[in-house]
Amino acid sequence: MAYFKVYLYLLILCLLNQGCDMADEYNTSPRKNFEALWKILDENYCFFDYKGIDWNEVHDKYSPQIDESMYEYKLFQILSDMANELKDGHINLNTPFLYSSYENWYTEYPPNFSWGVLNSKYLVGAARCGDYDEIRYTRLAGNQIGYIYYGSFRESILETELDSILHSFEHCRALIIDVRDNGGGSLTNSDRLASRFLAEKTLCGYIQHKTGKGHPDFSHPYPIYLKPSHSTLWLKPVIVLTNRKCYSAANNFVSKMRELPNVRTLGGSTGGGSGFPFTSELPNGWSIRFSTSPILNVNMQHTEFGIEPDIAVTLPAEDIENGRDTLIETAINLLLAETE
Amino acid sequence: MKRITGLLLLCLCLIRLPAQSIEEELPKAMNEGTLLGAGTSHVKDTYLSPFNYSGWGIRILNERMKIIGQGRGNFSRQQIINVDITSTKNPAENVNDFGAFMDYSLGYHYRLEASPAFSILTGASTHLLGGFIYNTRNGNNPLSAKVDIDLGVSLIALWKFRINKLPLTLRYQGELPFAGVFFSPEYGVSYYEMFNIGNLSDVVTFNSFHNKFALKNYLTADIPIHSSILRLGYLNSLYYSDTKNIETRIISNSFIIGWVKEFIPLGSKRIKYKNKVRSSYY
Repeated sequence: MAYFKVYLYLLILCLLNQGCDMADEYNTSPRKNFEALWKILDENYCFFDYKGIDWNEVHDKYSPQIDESMYEYKLFQILSDMANELKDGHINLNTPFLYSSYENWYTEYPPNFSWGVLNSKYLVGAARCGDYDEIRYTRLAGNQIGYIYYGSFRESILETELDSILHSFEHCRALIIDVRDNGGGSLTNSDRLASRFLAEKTLCGYIQHKTGKGHPDFSHPYPIYLKPSHSTLWLKPVIVLTNRKCYSAANNFVSKMRELPNVRTLGGSTGGGSGFPFTSELPNGWSIRFSTSPILNVNMQHTEFGIEPDIAVTLPAEDIENGRDTLIETAINLLLAETE
Repeated sequence: MKRITGLLLLCLCLIRLPAQSIEEELPKAMNEGTLLGAGTSHVKDTYLSPFNYSGWGIRILNERMKIIGQGRGNFSRQQIINVDITSTKNPAENVNDFGAFMDYSLGYHYRLEASPAFSILTGASTHLLGGFIYNTRNGNNPLSAKVDIDLGVSLIALWKFRINKLPLTLRYQGELPFAGVFFSPEYGVSYYEMFNIGNLSDVVTFNSFHNKFALKNYLTADIPIHSSILRLGYLNSLYYSDTKNIETRIISNSFIIGWVKEFIPLGSKRIKYKNKVRSSYY
């Protein structure tokens, strides 16, 4: 009988405790939302120590600007500014009316890319995958060099399409893969492409994740291996063209391709963005995206601020005016000279 | 005096024995109920969001109960299969979580008959749960998978009574897992790291009351209508876990309704004894 009473007591306790927490309620209070954003980033963001950011100091800098009577546009501005202190292109505050994005990671760098020149001179008659211009391929230098432009890893290539593309380069001596202005997308798509350029399983980096809410709470780096595709492989020379706007999954693609024996990178430094982003939300329904899992290179170094190319080449303004893509031309000359 | 008492006891035994023997020979009926449910759901999974999502849930539930073994029929086996679908919204009501869960429990009970009208069945059960919560807005962390295997205790109280000659059976059942293992990823690990890269280390964790509390409460009434039996009631399901800094809370309250049938799975005893069966429930 005593056990039955204990059970009954527990049962009543559970049934009474089924409501929502007060903290779970919809709340538009600027202070509550400010504190919620600060806490989410404090407990989840992965580059505080690497970037030497004192997050408490950031709190103290922005907290006095919060006023309970402020309009939501002003709140958005303050929250965006606070989030942008992390200097991370993966930080996005998304509201029904505005979307914040940190862009300084590329705005102060030369573009090294002109879509107009590429499209009007090099992609004339180029085939495409899908319905958009994100994935185009053709042969250059009198059919001697294969060329793939992959403008966004949000777009995927089917394995059969990749087979078809590589077969169309059957008689080419080398290949150029152009990922300039590729702002990222799905790592599955970038891995699918990279897996065509190696003959055996290769270590390409490491990944970590947060194991707790503290800034230094990370798992041991776990190795990332790239495995060769079971379909058509390309083991002749490859040059990957890069610029500062290669970000996130494109940055990861470049990091992996650099480890492959027949591959070099040419152009400008990539933009970085090596933190795998998660999404969370504030009490007023706004969403926040942030980096949470660092992906390291084979030397266990961060690539959050970008990867320098093997061969640095810039695209001068006068070349753009003359309709010439210096990076493509340099890559063609190098590949032709090496494959005589 | 002792002789008289002994003689009376012997007589009682002699009277009871044939009846018991017939009782033991009666075919054991399977009591099967298939129920549909609908109600409210509250889902919170901090891997997806720090907030509680509220909405509705629907479920389909099949439960089977049967006396097992020989003897006086004090042992019974119960199997419950439950499929639960939920759709919930965040406090700002601009994002959806969809949940789908399937669970199976196998329980064995011992019947304590307090009176012909009131029985308590106590026992143990094993419970398997699989499912997921899907957040429609999150990019790289859109899903939280749930896989649990538990051992638990189970308690059933059955009360038979009549209202205006209408025989009714009320049932309260509580199921409380006390130990098991469950799928529990690390705090910030992505499903990309686990399933694309292959880092599945430490994803299985022992659970007990220190990191998980789950309880299901059933309250049902069986009402005979002509030759059928209507079962209607209320199901309250609580699931709470807190491990590796990830908190999950799934609460649902459903009204359930369905039909019950008693049948003999296999055997010819039904023909011999016509409508007489040994029920684990009634």
